Amino acid sequence: MIRSHLNWAVALGVLCVLSLLIGARALPWSGLWQGSPEAWLTLTASRLPRLLALLVTGAGLAVCGLILQHIVRNRFVEPATTGGLDAAKLGILLALISLPDAGVGVRMFIALSVCLVSSLLFLALVRRLPAQQTVLVPVIGLMYGGVLSAVAEGYAYRHNLLQSMQGWLLGDFSKVVQGSYEVLYLSVPALLLSYLFAQRFTVVGMGEGIATSLGLNYPASVALGLVLVAVTVSATVISVGAIPFVGLVIPNLIALRHGDNLRRSLPWVALGGAVLLLVCDILGRLLIYPFEVPIGLTAGIVGGALFLGLLLWQRR
Amino acid sequence: MARHAPWALVVLLSGAFVLFGADFDMTYVIPRRLLRLGAMLVGGVCVAWSAITFQTLTGNRLLTPAVMGYEALYLLLQALLVLLLGSAGVVLLGAQGNVLLAASVMFGYSWVLHRWLLREGQHNLYFLLLVGLVLTLLLGSLTQFVQLKISPGEFSLLQGVSQTSFNRVQGAQLLVSALLVGALALLNRNQLNTLDVLALGRDQARSLGVDYPRVLRQQLALIAALVAISTSLLGPTAFMGVLVANLAYRLATSYRHRLTLALGSALAIVVFLIAQLLVEHLFNYKTTVGLLINLLCGGYFLVLLTRQRSHR
Amino acid sequence: MISVHDLHKHYGQRTVLDGISLSFPERRLTSLIGPNGAGKSTLLLMIGRLLEASAGEVRLAGQPIQRIASNAYARRVATLRQATELNLRLRVEELVEFGRFPYCGGRLHADDHRAVDQAIAFLGLDSLRQRYVDELSGGQRQMALLGMTIAQETDYLLLDEPLNNLDMRHAVQIMRALRRLCDERGCTVLLVVHDINFAASYSDHIVALKAGRVHCAGSVAEVVTETRLRALYELDFAISYSARGPLCNYFNPPRDLS
Repeated sequence: MIRSHLNWAVALGVLCVLSLLIGARALPWSGLWQGSPEAWLTLTASRLPRLLALLVTGAGLAVCGLILQHIVRNRFVEPATTGGLDAAKLGILLALISLPDAGVGVRMFIALSVCLVSSLLFLALVRRLPAQQTVLVPVIGLMYGGVLSAVAEGYAYRHNLLQSMQGWLLGDFSKVVQGSYEVLYLSVPALLLSYLFAQRFTVVGMGEGIATSLGLNYPASVALGLVLVAVTVSATVISVGAIPFVGLVIPNLIALRHGDNLRRSLPWVALGGAVLLLVCDILGRLLIYPFEVPIGLTAGIVGGALFLGLLLWQRR
Repeated sequence: MARHAPWALVVLLSGAFVLFGADFDMTYVIPRRLLRLGAMLVGGVCVAWSAITFQTLTGNRLLTPAVMGYEALYLLLQALLVLLLGSAGVVLLGAQGNVLLAASVMFGYSWVLHRWLLREGQHNLYFLLLVGLVLTLLLGSLTQFVQLKISPGEFSLLQGVSQTSFNRVQGAQLLVSALLVGALALLNRNQLNTLDVLALGRDQARSLGVDYPRVLRQQLALIAALVAISTSLLGPTAFMGVLVANLAYRLATSYRHRLTLALGSALAIVVFLIAQLLVEHLFNYKTTVGLLINLLCGGYFLVLLTRQRSHR
Repeated sequence: MISVHDLHKHYGQRTVLDGISLSFPERRLTSLIGPNGAGKSTLLLMIGRLLEASAGEVRLAGQPIQRIASNAYARRVATLRQATELNLRLRVEELVEFGRFPYCGGRLHADDHRAVDQAIAFLGLDSLRQRYVDELSGGQRQMALLGMTIAQETDYLLLDEPLNNLDMRHAVQIMRALRRLCDERGCTVLLVVHDINFAASYSDHIVALKAGRVHCAGSVAEVVTETRLRALYELDFAISYSARGPLCNYFNPPRDLS
């Protein structure tokens, strides 16, 4: 067990160093030693923020997926298949159009609220589904996201924002520099809180009946989970854009090995999410060097392939 | 009575659509509108037919073929065409070329998907749906990426084909589509009773002598063809199938595909006509048919979810 | 006659059926019994062609069933699966009419209507004829489904746990109907049943499966004995006999199970 912890820590370390090294401009290491201000600036203003943003986003999205899967009680949900990403997009659009001068804080708040309301609505819908339909939850979530997205597109169409809106939807870390991404750090407390309440989410995953009879305040726990998810998702969409599949693949892969007890699996899920995103980012930066493939795409392809593989493998 | 009302409505609304404010302009306005009406008729039949058949095969009334990723693939193809050929190239390719290309790509997609997933005699439709979900997300990301790479002018061209709209139809394309749909209907005529039996579920249908794998293959190919025709004619229609199919079940008060397919087609055409009339005369083109249909059908879909009758 | 020859079924590493060879007596009611996971339903579904065997074959009158066209097979063998979820709004009559599909492909002729009427009369479903299936109770719905199977007018009927979730009265109704099919119409009936007492009271022949193999097979008198049932279920049985037939009591064994 300790060995495997160690292996993962080493892997993460190597990936972090790689991530710092790779970029459109080679990082002059010698410059760092000599204290060259230019080299340090590249490191602190661009590479380091990017690395931190990647780690926080990866861990945050994977944990979001995990919490959603327990709340909805379906293995195949994540922010992209519960309308969460589309709701955040709609929220940002609302903020941009109705309060164009508002700061990132206000935008964040509006996106968060829309995201939360939409996930509450989705949960209410899903809970009304008869038992035999529950396998369809992710498909329904995708269609629900389609409805939200249709609303957003109609709104954007009237204000000629359609193409720029497409831009936010595809996660991209290349614009992350010092001063533009700090709102992401809001997901750090969300991550810590979800670890603190991990035990509760495990119980929530057993269903309302069992949870209530174990003395858990079910509605409060679900609400807490949804708030944590909304914070992370809207912070991510605002600062880097949407990234699919991280929340879907990582929890499923980790559950195969570490089971569904969140207290135990949550750190692994966070770590796995960070590693997956780092790998995707490094790939994206290398594929058409010196240009970049946005991470939304690489994560979509790598995550999608992993997920398909998982599905096929489980079917054996 | 309820069974004939939609057709009466189709006639009424078609008349209104073609004649309203046209001043009997036989040289341009009316022929143009007749062309669009034709697109609605053919497209409506395709949408309703593919959705109802798909729901019968999956045994589920909340699904449309769009969840298998067909429409996502179509959008990706269009974005790629714009990216690779530029707007001039797309114009050069022409509507026919585009339709044929889209149809063959979607056919190929459907063939590979089913070939790959349904081998070994396993026919787990739920698994198929999950794969469709993953592919939809994946194709969506790719499309967004391509969209970011093209210029704003080309984007608006792309926007034109990626939403439901009746304006890009051309005469020859409409004729080919109509003939194709007619041929498919003729070929499928004898399968309607088999579809009724399939609605009982896979096992019951098999024990009643239906050659399930063969019928499934045929019907999935048929759905691919219908979706290809309707998307290249009108653009993606996402939820519309859910709305149309469920209204048809309700009005038909019968499980027979003979009835539900006919009714569903009429309803789809009615929805198209209403959306077009609203956009032209109420909203003055401030919104698009595609958005209106998406909102209308999406809203109905959500209502339908909350109204799901639980069995027992 | 239906016979199976060295039938195997594997799911990956897991073996569900491990070399079964049997034949089922004609014009008799045969029950398949055994603990959960013994492979009873798997065997039945293979005979009904709803599952494919990994190895071995099933024969109908000496002919391997894979060589018979689906439609022709459906006129000779009818299968009713457990827990058929119907999300269709169908009347009982319409459901029963589906039983004629193998003959008429959905367009009913006079013969077909006669068969439907007979099936409905046979089960005494006349009063339910115009009711919607999704508004019936579980027992009535099972009767309606059985009606469809009977309208199929096959010589062989396969039923997978037809008594599942039924109350006692409906369970008895179904079993009596099956018994009558066998006695009055000369049908061969195969069913998977969990309740050993129903099996003992209504069957002619019993096949007991355990862990994918035939544990024992024979007449009721041969199979329903304390020693055989104890070995089959690993439970302590006491069998008492009365004018109404054998009664197996396993509910409250005097000793601990070990």
